[in-house]
Amino acid sequence: MSAESKAVEVTGLTKKFGEFTAVDNVSFEVPDGEIFGYLGPNGAGKTTLIRMLTTLVIPTSGRAKIAGFDVETNSADVRRQIGVISQAMTSDLDLTGYENLDIYGRFYGVPARERKERIKYLLDMVGLSSRAGELVAAYSGGMRRRLEVARSLVHKPKILFLDEPSSGLDPQSRRVMWELLRQIREESSTTMFLTTHYMEEADALCNRIAIIDAGKMIVLGSPTQLKKEIPGSDIVSITVDGLSEGLVSFVKALPFVRNLLVEDETLRVSVDSGATSLPALMDAIRSSGGRIVSASIHEQSLEDVFIHFTGKSIREGEAKKVSLFIGAGVPQR
Amino acid sequence: MKKMNAFSETLLRLSAVIDRDIRKFIRNPIVIGMSFLMPIIYLVIMGNSFQGKLQSLPLIVINHDSGRQARDLFDNLRAIEAGPATITIFQAEDEQAAVADVRNGKYKAALIIPSDFSKRVVLKSRPEVGLFLDNTDAISSGTITGVVNGAVAAIHSGHVAIREASDQIHVRDADLYRFVDYFQSLVPGVVVMAIFLGTLTTGVFNVVMDRFLGIEESYLLTPLTKANIVGGLILSGLAITTSVSILVLAVGMLMTGIPFPTNIGSLASLLVVIILTTLCLQSLMFVLLGRANHPRLVGVLSGFMNVILFFPSGAVYPTASLPSWLKSFAMVNPEAYAVDALKALLFKNAGLTTVLADIGFLMVFMVVMMMAAIMLFKRTL
Repeated sequence: MSAESKAVEVTGLTKKFGEFTAVDNVSFEVPDGEIFGYLGPNGAGKTTLIRMLTTLVIPTSGRAKIAGFDVETNSADVRRQIGVISQAMTSDLDLTGYENLDIYGRFYGVPARERKERIKYLLDMVGLSSRAGELVAAYSGGMRRRLEVARSLVHKPKILFLDEPSSGLDPQSRRVMWELLRQIREESSTTMFLTTHYMEEADALCNRIAIIDAGKMIVLGSPTQLKKEIPGSDIVSITVDGLSEGLVSFVKALPFVRNLLVEDETLRVSVDSGATSLPALMDAIRSSGGRIVSASIHEQSLEDVFIHFTGKSIREGEAKKVSLFIGAGVPQR
Repeated sequence: MKKMNAFSETLLRLSAVIDRDIRKFIRNPIVIGMSFLMPIIYLVIMGNSFQGKLQSLPLIVINHDSGRQARDLFDNLRAIEAGPATITIFQAEDEQAAVADVRNGKYKAALIIPSDFSKRVVLKSRPEVGLFLDNTDAISSGTITGVVNGAVAAIHSGHVAIREASDQIHVRDADLYRFVDYFQSLVPGVVVMAIFLGTLTTGVFNVVMDRFLGIEESYLLTPLTKANIVGGLILSGLAITTSVSILVLAVGMLMTGIPFPTNIGSLASLLVVIILTTLCLQSLMFVLLGRANHPRLVGVLSGFMNVILFFPSGAVYPTASLPSWLKSFAMVNPEAYAVDALKALLFKNAGLTTVLADIGFLMVFMVVMMMAAIMLFKRTL
């Protein structure tokens, strides 16, 4: 990989908030034109990482370069190269869709004629041309998100950062968003760096995925590579009253069991087909004296992938720090 | 993307920050209306609350003496009631009930003239009257004590009115400027208050709201510099606040009958003072609130700042009469210079040269505060 072809270069990047380490010694590279997914549970440090890469948060240690510019020493140059879709909706409600794009274009110094053409093109692309004159306050969540996608592209950025772009959207709007991102990728070969906690989203969009937990990067690879490392496709969860070590060993030895994890009295069994494996599993447990309390099947989710790589469940994010001086007003990180 | 030169790009960015802010503001007509109406209501309320000199303080008189001197004293009080109307007199027989009424707030004071008052005056044998005061209201009780002392002292001369005696030195007033009544004298202060109120709904307030709503992130991600953001918001605040305060000034002048200056110099100076005052207060609030992240902080701090800047500004009480420590504060209070300049321009028909010192201070204050505001503004989250 030549130096010119790296859109993002991160070396030993760390961010601490007091005693809490939000991003812990992370290193990776994203080549030009790639769609890179940063996948992890809430509170894993995804937003902090993206904020460091987009110059909003100053790293505690380590380095990050965006399009060859250092985020600390060349932050102004970095900001010219990037477009960002933040996790929260950040468009102005008191402005119309068109005004939001126009003012943003002026922030980037896009000349008037070019701006006008670009806004028309982008509004068409996100399907908001007919609503462009309305105040954003009248938009649905999905429309507002699409407007923010258009806004992030008004200055033709080289790299697009998306912090949980489909968070808070209904399934239909989420698919519209994915289509939109694919279209952008095809038309402009823009590099995209997206964070998500949806395995499905990362799978649908990304060339490569980094799985993270508690600020640390656990594994990096293409969706196909990562999936290959997760045995089975379904998870059967069976809660057994008075689960014994003998019973666990017995289940683990069954030929169709690809992997087994135990949480309290629940067995989480990876299998290729949940529908056929469940009755066989229940028979086997009963035959060896186990009393089944409950049983369920689900397709492998991010949680299962996560469990596979980290050996534990996805936890809720750490409690956010709230100012002692201003109460529950604004979380400090 | 075509390249623009750095200057054109800066202008484009600044214009976008200003445009965004003004568009958002004008879509909030209630705030626009309140920004104009509130200072006018202040003018009406303040004008009628203080009334310059105190009037109609209720005084109950219990007169047990039918002698001439007691009658004189009572007549003297009646003369004050009929003239400057500082007091309103009530009469009663029952001393205890009258004192109780002072305690329960019905009257501000009870004056008791004992039965031997006239006799003692004639005999020059320590004549006394009793004055029971509601001393929890220091201003009223001080004024009533003065009125009663005046009425008592006037018994000997037989009149309340000052009689010119040939052997006494008298001071004759000679007004240097046209008569300025109390209502009119409040107008400069009300204009300055309109400017201050403007800083609470524009400028830094929008940064705090954007931060609170999480919108700030969207423009921190762009190439806007600190100076673009702070300068742009101060300028949009200037446009809005100046328009509102000029309207408040015009309406205030019409309401109180202040004649409009006819020469261009005075009008231009008025505009310069209003613009500089706005820039000073906008920048000052940016320094104080540039890093605040909750609108509640704006509420708390602005109420405090309004009082500490307004009252020692000379708007309602001359700064010369302030205690020395407060006078020192007034020396660095931009509102004091603004009020001083506006008073000179409105009431003394002064030109630019008279208010140059005020303008000079406001310019220095503005530059220092604006630089501090830009330096202190945080470009990261």
